[in-house]
Amino acid sequence: MTYSSRQFIQPHRSSCTRAFSTGLVGLALSLGLFTASTAHAAGEAVAKAINAIGEFTVFRTDGIQEQLEGKGSLPLYEGDRVTTGRGSQGLMEFTNGIQVALNEDTDFLILSRWESDKGITRILRLATGEVWVKTMGGPKPLEIETPVATAAVKSTEFALKVQPDGQTTLTVVEGIVEFGTAFGTCPIRTSTISYGNRGKKCTKPAPTNVSPTIAWTQGIRQ
Amino acid sequence: MKPYTKLSTPLLMIGLPLLIAANLTGCESMQGVFSPPKPEGLNTRVYSANESSNTVTVMDGDSYQVLGEIDTLNYGPHDLALSRDGKQLWVTNLANGRVTVIDTESRKPVASIYTGTRAHVVALTNNNKHAWVANIADNTISIIDTTIYRILGTIPVGKGPMGIAFSRDGKFAYVSTQDKMVNVIDTTAHQVIKQIPVGPNPHFLTLGPDGRIWGTNTGSNDLYVIDPATNEIAATIEVGPAPQQIAFALKGTAGPNAYVTVTGLNKVVVVNATSPTLSIREQIDVGEGPNGIWANAVGTTIYVGHTKSNNVMVIDTGTSQVSATLPVGKKPIRVVASR
Repeated sequence: MTYSSRQFIQPHRSSCTRAFSTGLVGLALSLGLFTASTAHAAGEAVAKAINAIGEFTVFRTDGIQEQLEGKGSLPLYEGDRVTTGRGSQGLMEFTNGIQVALNEDTDFLILSRWESDKGITRILRLATGEVWVKTMGGPKPLEIETPVATAAVKSTEFALKVQPDGQTTLTVVEGIVEFGTAFGTCPIRTSTISYGNRGKKCTKPAPTNVSPTIAWTQGIRQ
Repeated sequence: MKPYTKLSTPLLMIGLPLLIAANLTGCESMQGVFSPPKPEGLNTRVYSANESSNTVTVMDGDSYQVLGEIDTLNYGPHDLALSRDGKQLWVTNLANGRVTVIDTESRKPVASIYTGTRAHVVALTNNNKHAWVANIADNTISIIDTTIYRILGTIPVGKGPMGIAFSRDGKFAYVSTQDKMVNVIDTTAHQVIKQIPVGPNPHFLTLGPDGRIWGTNTGSNDLYVIDPATNEIAATIEVGPAPQQIAFALKGTAGPNAYVTVTGLNKVVVVNATSPTLSIREQIDVGEGPNGIWANAVGTTIYVGHTKSNNVMVIDTGTSQVSATLPVGKKPIRVVASR
């Protein structure tokens, strides 16, 4: 037998669905959920670049490129791609107080993840290069993605370096970092180092002298 | 017992027929009075991704009712993947490169994750621990932990990844790309180990009940089958212009059959999937722009989404007749159902 359920379904949908959708939109608004494009359109900067040595370039989602020269305050938005050139460095600060320094030849995207029970987690997707991260003023969720691993932090200081083949080196200066690949996670603690490689679990933490690892940040942080 | 006995004969003789008559009279307006409803959790749930209304429509696949519509909180929902337990629905959003995770019990989004430019399709690994998302414009696959929603890695593939499927044993992932290839990925190393040449605009990929990987060349008129033992094309068959997606179901004793949506014909073409060589069993007329298709768990019903007429048709595979047509959001491009 062939028949159409449209007559039975339409009234149900018109009454229930509209209210349901409206509720969800309201929920999203109340939680401050915005996509990359809407956050940018609304002009809500998530960070600012505050110092640059050499070539520090920001690629906006609409194709516009901006550069910071020396000290200043260049707003950064979700979806922005940030790069440094050879022999260049940069320093940026998120609105929640997280500081990130970029070493030379670094390239990352500013992203986020939203979860209904946790809110927004800031994410840096590091394609190549090296970053130093320090959280201040209590726990602040931040994650750094590389092609083969992710470092998740709340309150810590660490450096992360990505080779062109994706190999990732994590050095924790202070605190604890949840370091993981698709094949397993490794908690990495103060003054230890771990490596993430494609197709493998991150290596067990090994003691390391962190001072040389972050020596490059001295100039840009002044 | 005594009061009941005293009441018995005369009253029952009058009252019982009256009671039955009253119930029968009210039967039409009180459907289900005489047949107990299925337990809530056992009904088939069907979902459509409505690309132009940024929503997912929820349907009851057994009673043919639309139950609600969920805002993905993103733009251009395109593909869907349902966890084995039916509790998590993963939605790619093509326009803004994010994946929405929906809790199907509350029917609310619980996470929104940026994967890459033009997030196209999503597939859950066989153990459901990871979601793999193909990002067309980045030429990558993002791997997401399905518990903590964290991206754990990215695999570079060929140009324009369009479809993803996993082998039955989970050792290989197959990714179709716009450069007319299917990339074979070793899932233990996250490396592309082989590229298999296929036709123009290879799109949808899925694991068949025969353990082979079935795909369509949407840019031409055929589908192909890959043997995972050799990672070579084992068979092809012409089904009509712009074939889209494939589901597997039965027609009485015949089957499993591959049900293929063919946009250029406005038909579902039924291919015999039981023999090494493929043959067409029948063609079923459907609505305008058939694209998404899924079969219920027992293979007696298929659900077909139509991107032009904005509805999902429920088709009984035994008779090849349309059982119901459910209105959904705009441009329903993908349909999935609970197991």
